[in-house]
Amino acid sequence: MDIGTLGVYVCLFAALYFEVFLLISFFENRPALKTSALPKRFPTVSIVVPSFNEERTLAQTIRSLMALDYPKEKLNVIIVDDGSTDNTRNIADALAAEHSQVEYLYKENGGKYTALNLGIQASHAELVGCLDADSFTSPDALIEVVKRFEEDPSVMAIMPAMKVYRPKSMLERMQAVEYTFGVFYKKMFDNLAALNVLPGPFSLYKREVFEKIGPFHHAHNTEDMEIAFRMHANGLKIVNAHTATVYTTVPKTVRALLRQRTRWSQGFLENSRDYKYMYFNPRYGNFGLLVLPFGLFAFFAGLYSAFYALYTLTSLVLTHVLDMQATKIPLNLAMPRLDWFYVDGGMMLVTTLIVLCFTLTAIALGNHIAQNKLGALSFLSYFALFGFIAPIWLARAAWGAMRSTPASWR
Amino acid sequence: MARACRVGCHALDPGLVAITSMKDWRKYVLAFAITAAIFGTAFYIVGRLDASRIAEIRAAQDALSIDLLSSETQFELLGNLNCSMIAEHPVLTDELNTLAEQLSFTESKVGSDSADVISLKKQYSLLEIKDYLLMQQISQKCGTKPVSILYFYSNAGDCADCSRAGDVLTYLRQTYPDLRVYSFDYNLNLSALQTLISLNKVKDTLPALVISNKPPVYGFKSLNDMQTLIPELKLMASSTSATSTGGTSAK
Repeated sequence: MDIGTLGVYVCLFAALYFEVFLLISFFENRPALKTSALPKRFPTVSIVVPSFNEERTLAQTIRSLMALDYPKEKLNVIIVDDGSTDNTRNIADALAAEHSQVEYLYKENGGKYTALNLGIQASHAELVGCLDADSFTSPDALIEVVKRFEEDPSVMAIMPAMKVYRPKSMLERMQAVEYTFGVFYKKMFDNLAALNVLPGPFSLYKREVFEKIGPFHHAHNTEDMEIAFRMHANGLKIVNAHTATVYTTVPKTVRALLRQRTRWSQGFLENSRDYKYMYFNPRYGNFGLLVLPFGLFAFFAGLYSAFYALYTLTSLVLTHVLDMQATKIPLNLAMPRLDWFYVDGGMMLVTTLIVLCFTLTAIALGNHIAQNKLGALSFLSYFALFGFIAPIWLARAAWGAMRSTPASWR
Repeated sequence: MARACRVGCHALDPGLVAITSMKDWRKYVLAFAITAAIFGTAFYIVGRLDASRIAEIRAAQDALSIDLLSSETQFELLGNLNCSMIAEHPVLTDELNTLAEQLSFTESKVGSDSADVISLKKQYSLLEIKDYLLMQQISQKCGTKPVSILYFYSNAGDCADCSRAGDVLTYLRQTYPDLRVYSFDYNLNLSALQTLISLNKVKDTLPALVISNKPPVYGFKSLNDMQTLIPELKLMASSTSATSTGGTSAK
């Protein structure tokens, strides 16, 4: 066995180990189903909606917040316009005029984290949340989050279960499967007390979090990831409310998707560099021992496997073409024979299939947890596209991190 | 301490410190054991699949061996009295070709240094030699002129062109069913094979071809070269479609 193949086996073994670990966590502590119980107390809540040129989706986002099943006097929404140059200002003004709970703040463009910090400063509520202006909440999302805070007073921040808003194209469906997989592993990270991100769509914090560890940082354009790292560094508990559903719109073009994922992946690498002391450090529990090291390993394993596959395929095609030129044998387009004897049941194929089966199981469990309905077309899109697109953003992120080039938002 | 950590990262509230518990450690070990067991099972299944392939080839070779013996006996019984009847029956090319393809595939999966593969190759080479000799006898007694190619290759890493030469011969064999191609691993430790090599004065400059008992031809020959070397190909009936896979155990 050559060293390249051995590397792929190491990647497959690690991927399987990670999936087995998460499945053990699932069977140890199965997620509870949603109940109709209400919280004993309704704390005051401010939702900050940072907006930069969000004229297309802002109104729908605010309407979804206005439709939340929560006492009106306990909830206010702060739209922070981060220097938009489109019609966001007029739309936000109109929304503020229409709803007494909505407040509108304008500031010069300074980046999302500055908009979030301004919103937090302006709020006086016990719980402060953020909601990206391209996302929408389900009516009971806030109640579900508040119930989770109530269940465990030591919880400092909560992230919801995220679903893709009305996926239509193959690219959106691919992302819908990814997000469903995300529902599963985020819940398992919760079981391990090792959630690694507090995403922009509807993460809620106790006010004291910011008093203890300070406001959002620029954090390589991934402030939602960095704050989770910082909370772990300071022993502040993060959990997942899988019964609180938030819908998010996803990039509709490959170009936009690559830009978004490059930013996320590069942010992970750069935040990992900033918090390298947490790696393999048992003081930070499963976050330091499993989630961070495996995240980094998965990053490089993904890149390695993609390059290995590309190299193998290119070599194969090139050799075949050169052989055809040398031998003068005409191209044979006949179908391969259907004989079990020639089924290529090599170790690589078998182990890859096993890893894929575990991945499908994880997606199915995510589907169950999120009460989602993914169709065959979504799975087809995922398996047809993900393997080709993901390595590109991984490579771009690695290149950007090496050169310390900031990943762009848009 | 990282610059991003604002408040005493290393002075955590003891109540909140997430030290990994013994239960978690057990989970780490259990996950490793399960993963190793899954890999072990996969390894076992793949091994069983290879073993069943080898068993299938061995069974096919045994059957072919009986067929060959039957043909030889039939030939001896009939002598040259009924060449038309002999010509109808002793052709075992299809079986040999199928075996060659299966053996080549198995060799590529299991490895050419596997004891099972070497044993199968020896048995296969003997069958080829017997078939070749039988055809020679039939040819002499019945006056037929079959076109045969003895192809000598090496997969010890010293024959860069053997793979391509094998491809050309596979194609020819599939295209011209009457063409009899016998492929031999030059380095196979088999006395009958070494005698065949000596009789045909084949040197170790591989790939080497002995076409219809003529002196050996060395080096890679393309399809066009082969058509020039074997003008009889133009007169041979060709199959309407060549099948796609298989080799001559020459890679």
